[in-house]
Amino acid sequence: MWDCTFFTRKEILRLHGRYHELAPHLVPMDYTNDPDVKIPLALIVNMPELKENPFRNRIVESFSEDGQGNLSFNDFVDMFSVLSEMAPRELKAIFAFKIYDFNVDNYICKEDLEKTLNKLTKEELTPEEVNLVCEKAIEEADLDGDNKLSFADFENMISRAPDFLSTFHIRI
Amino acid sequence: MVSQLLKKISRVLYNIVVLFIPWEMRIKKIESHFGSGVASYFIFLRWLFGINIVLTIMTGAFIVLPELLAGPPFGTTRSKTIPKDHLASAQDLDTIWSLGGYLQYSVLFYGYYGNVRKIGSAGYRLPLAYFMVGMAVFAYSFITLLRKMAKNSRMSLSGASDENYTFCWRVFCAWDYLIGNPEAAESKGAAIVNSIREAIVEEQEKKKDTSLAVLISLRILANILVLLSLTGSIYIIYFVVDRSQKLEQEKPELTLWEKNEVSVVVSLITMIAPSAFELVAQLEMYHPRTSLRFQLARVLVLYLGNLYSLIIALLDKVNSMSSAISVGPGNLSDSTSYLATISQSTEDNLSTIIPDITERQNSTLTRTLLELNNSMTTVKSTTSSRQPMRMQSLLNQTVLYEYNTRSQQDPCWETYVGQEMLKLSIIDMIFTVASILLIDFIRGLVVRYLSDCCCWDLESNFPEYGEFKIAENVLHLIYNQGMIWMGAFFSPCLPAFNVLKLVGLMYLRSWAVLTCNVPHQQVFRASRSNNFYLTMLLFMLFLCMLPTIFAIVRYRPSQYCGPFSGQEKIYDIISETIANDFPLWFSKVMSYVTSPVVVLPALLLLFMLIYYLQSIARSLKVTNSQLRLQLQTERTDDKKKVFQLAAAHLQAPEGGDKKPEQESDITSMESSARSTSPPRRNGSITNFESPVRHGNSIRTITQSASRPDIPRAAGATQSPTVPVRQKHKAEPVASSSFRMYSSPSVPQRQVRRVEYIPIRHSGYLGSTSGSCRSKSYHNMAYKPCTRYAENSDPLFRKTLRPMHTEPAVITAQSYVGHRAHSTRYVIINEHEARKKLMRSNTRIPRHYRLADEPTEIVELYPRNVKCYIPRPPHRSHQPHLSEEEEEEDPKSSTRRGSFRQSKRPRPLSDLHQTAGFYIGDTINSQLSMEQGLYSDEEEGDQEEDWVNDPQTNIRGPESAHRYGEPYVKPKTKHKVEPSLTESDSASLASSSDQQNSSTDQYIQVIHNKKKYLKSNAKLTKTKSKSSVKLNVSGTNDLVCSNV
Repeated sequence: MWDCTFFTRKEILRLHGRYHELAPHLVPMDYTNDPDVKIPLALIVNMPELKENPFRNRIVESFSEDGQGNLSFNDFVDMFSVLSEMAPRELKAIFAFKIYDFNVDNYICKEDLEKTLNKLTKEELTPEEVNLVCEKAIEEADLDGDNKLSFADFENMISRAPDFLSTFHIRI
Repeated sequence: MVSQLLKKISRVLYNIVVLFIPWEMRIKKIESHFGSGVASYFIFLRWLFGINIVLTIMTGAFIVLPELLAGPPFGTTRSKTIPKDHLASAQDLDTIWSLGGYLQYSVLFYGYYGNVRKIGSAGYRLPLAYFMVGMAVFAYSFITLLRKMAKNSRMSLSGASDENYTFCWRVFCAWDYLIGNPEAAESKGAAIVNSIREAIVEEQEKKKDTSLAVLISLRILANILVLLSLTGSIYIIYFVVDRSQKLEQEKPELTLWEKNEVSVVVSLITMIAPSAFELVAQLEMYHPRTSLRFQLARVLVLYLGNLYSLIIALLDKVNSMSSAISVGPGNLSDSTSYLATISQSTEDNLSTIIPDITERQNSTLTRTLLELNNSMTTVKSTTSSRQPMRMQSLLNQTVLYEYNTRSQQDPCWETYVGQEMLKLSIIDMIFTVASILLIDFIRGLVVRYLSDCCCWDLESNFPEYGEFKIAENVLHLIYNQGMIWMGAFFSPCLPAFNVLKLVGLMYLRSWAVLTCNVPHQQVFRASRSNNFYLTMLLFMLFLCMLPTIFAIVRYRPSQYCGPFSGQEKIYDIISETIANDFPLWFSKVMSYVTSPVVVLPALLLLFMLIYYLQSIARSLKVTNSQLRLQLQTERTDDKKKVFQLAAAHLQAPEGGDKKPEQESDITSMESSARSTSPPRRNGSITNFESPVRHGNSIRTITQSASRPDIPRAAGATQSPTVPVRQKHKAEPVASSSFRMYSSPSVPQRQVRRVEYIPIRHSGYLGSTSGSCRSKSYHNMAYKPCTRYAENSDPLFRKTLRPMHTEPAVITAQSYVGHRAHSTRYVIINEHEARKKLMRSNTRIPRHYRLADEPTEIVELYPRNVKCYIPRPPHRSHQPHLSEEEEEEDPKSSTRRGSFRQSKRPRPLSDLHQTAGFYIGDTINSQLSMEQGLYSDEEEGDQEEDWVNDPQTNIRGPESAHRYGEPYVKPKTKHKVEPSLTESDSASLASSSDQQNSSTDQYIQVIHNKKKYLKSNAKLTKTKSKSSVKLNVSGTNDLVCSNV
């Protein structure tokens, strides 16, 4: 398993400990039978690493196989693996795109941007400001002129951001 | 693993280091609440703090400590003892407050340091160290300042190209996923909101624009105001200083106000003027960042004015002092009175020494002499020397003091300057604290707690909460630092004092900002590199260094105090040291090095080097901007490519014809038109039901257009004319098709048309013989309707098109709309075609306009019918009327467009008649046939004729149409070309005003008639006319019935 992630065996074990902690009654410590166990979103979101993150729900949802936010242990490890320091920029960009794509249509459209902004700023901006920022952001990054950001647009933009790697990163 | 470990260790170390960065958390907190602008002030403050720490260490370690440890203790030498007559008052608060008494004879000031060349057992060369450190303070400041500036500019250079994704990054990269602490999350959220707001403000600033003239005049006015206030403040300071000196001279007792007048006035000016400047800056309507810079520069000038007026006054005193010393060097007594008298001229003097002096003034000369310790002989000598002194100095007001001082003491002007600077610094600190407490804190309290019991809202109206004024505060820091630099040489402890002051300021300010200030209303980002602050600081450093250097070089050091006492010049210590303490060869080398033989070439070399580096920097700047430009163009190219790709995708399904046509220019269009036209000629008559067989949809259109003619031809006896028309039509159609090609989406539209046509055909064909015409009409109306309704803009675009030759633009448009509005584009194309037609036929536009809405089409017919109905007597008139009625701005615009197009290639213009004009085409053809001989001049006529004709043609089914096909074709072509140009002019004239146009048309119509008549006469085709008329009426009826 650990060649699929950026974690060492030890770290995976530690992660499993955390995973187990989240729902001790659900998760067995012994994975030899490969049981199909999933932890619901509500529990994961309460992890201290995610608790303050405005996109916590989206993070968990985009890493869950079923899209509902229920994470198996594999999903769980994947999540922290992508968010770890070791993950390459491309991988991070893919998942960042998924996280910001609220309506899962493979495009970051204006509504997605508005949601992102509102979560980010806790709705402190006026609608006009939000509107302006959304338009500007799309205008800046939209290369193919379809008024929404495809992944190519997003990656192009994010790959030039100086602090993306350092901020899109959760230490666990 | 090792690298990982290293990473971890470095991260931990980094975290620890952050803990040790002073006030880092505090600044971060402020930054998250107030934005980077306010934080930049605190960061600047911290940086200054760092510099002062180093300066303090330098002076402390190399001057103060050695003197304290190894120098002779207090009271052992004359320069270290308080004179007896001042001993009594040495501990008074007044004396201490004015830095007299014990403070004056302490390590704080220059005068305390001894001039023994080597002190202590180690033989520390204190005088040399004093001089070296004094210079090193400046050198270090310069170096750190320049290095910081270089670093900042490097950062700003590397960061400048990243501005393209401001908003995206602020949205997508803003959140730090590492944050797990609620407080940090909150402050991060606040910081994000702030940064986004900053970006928004910047964006809005970009959009703002007002009339240039008003702006310029406003700015000129503002600058005049600022200049006035600057000169005013300088004059006031000068006036006050002058007055205080006079008062000191004339009045025995000075009131408290008179004593402190200067300092109060100066501090009032420094407090009020910046706010006035801020008000003025609002007039100018600069970008906030620019206005901030202006504000800073102005305040800096103000502060400099104040500082320099003070310095000049000081140096003035020093000048008179040293000259007095040179005259009367015999004074042995130490007293502070001399210093006190000097200090009277400075604003900040609060000392009580002045009264002493004034008392002395009152007392008689002899009395003062008696009081003094000096022997009578020295007194006499000084008095005798007084007279020449007076003559020399011409400073009447100081004469008395000079007398006193000379008789009393050995003046130590260095100590005096140091005292003044320290005093200035202290008073500045007091004022700062007071202003923070009064202006910010008390005001905040009042606003907060009295707003309930006040009739207006204190918080949002008048007093409000104080804003944190970055400009002023930064300037204040710079001003403060300038005082330190100015006084550091004369008061070695000044940097240490400044460190304390800065620490206090940091805490007080940050507390005030967080408790009683509100964020600046216009948040904006301080430029990432604070180079502007640093530039001002550098400026300040240079200006503050000048007086010190000047004093060092120009004035003779005090005779009986300080490390350089007994020397002719302060810098003599260097040469003396070299001569005495270094081996002989070194002094020889030094004499060589300092001789002009070496210095001049070295200077030249330096200049050359500077020039060389400067030119390199300039060229680098140029290449840098070029690279940036290249990057930008490449990025836009990328965008274009993407657009093109997308366009290609869209076009791919639509058929191969479009692509080549898109690429092809007018010429290609022409060729295609020709190519298309011949087949039509051949088969148009018979072909009309086989539109499909022309591979291109465009052709099908042409065919459809030709169809009506064909039926007519078939029905009419004059079959020969039909082919001619068809040819004409075909050509115009082809041209139209070309235009249509240019836009990718055209094909789809055309396809639709084709579909429409068949349907109508089917419907109409059954009804009547005139059905053909009706169909043609329908086609016309229908298409126009769709076009017009959908595209008012498109018209303009089309008109612009010729200029647009770039495929990218068109493709882009198509791309945007392609899916939803594919039809539109097609329509646009048709429009162009029509416009082209239009130039020839004004009618068509009318139809379009009428047809604006599909439902209206039906109505249009009736109108036309009406027009036509009256016509029969005068065909030409009727069409005009209709034109007049219906003409609108859009028409004019379309005309223009058509004209432009027509201007290019004539053949094309010939071809202008589009499918939409079937009717018009037929008319044209008729006209051409009829007018075949008229040629050039008739274009306008032709147009109108056509306008008239279409209807007539339609109605008069084929009666007049087919005369002489063979010659008609060439003729018509010729005609069309000239006509286009003429029509252009006419249309242009008409385009301006509807009415005008209508009148023009009238005229033209009339001409047309004549011509028409002529043509008729010539051609002897009167029949055709009549038939046409008849036809028209008939057709109208038919149409009506159809409708």
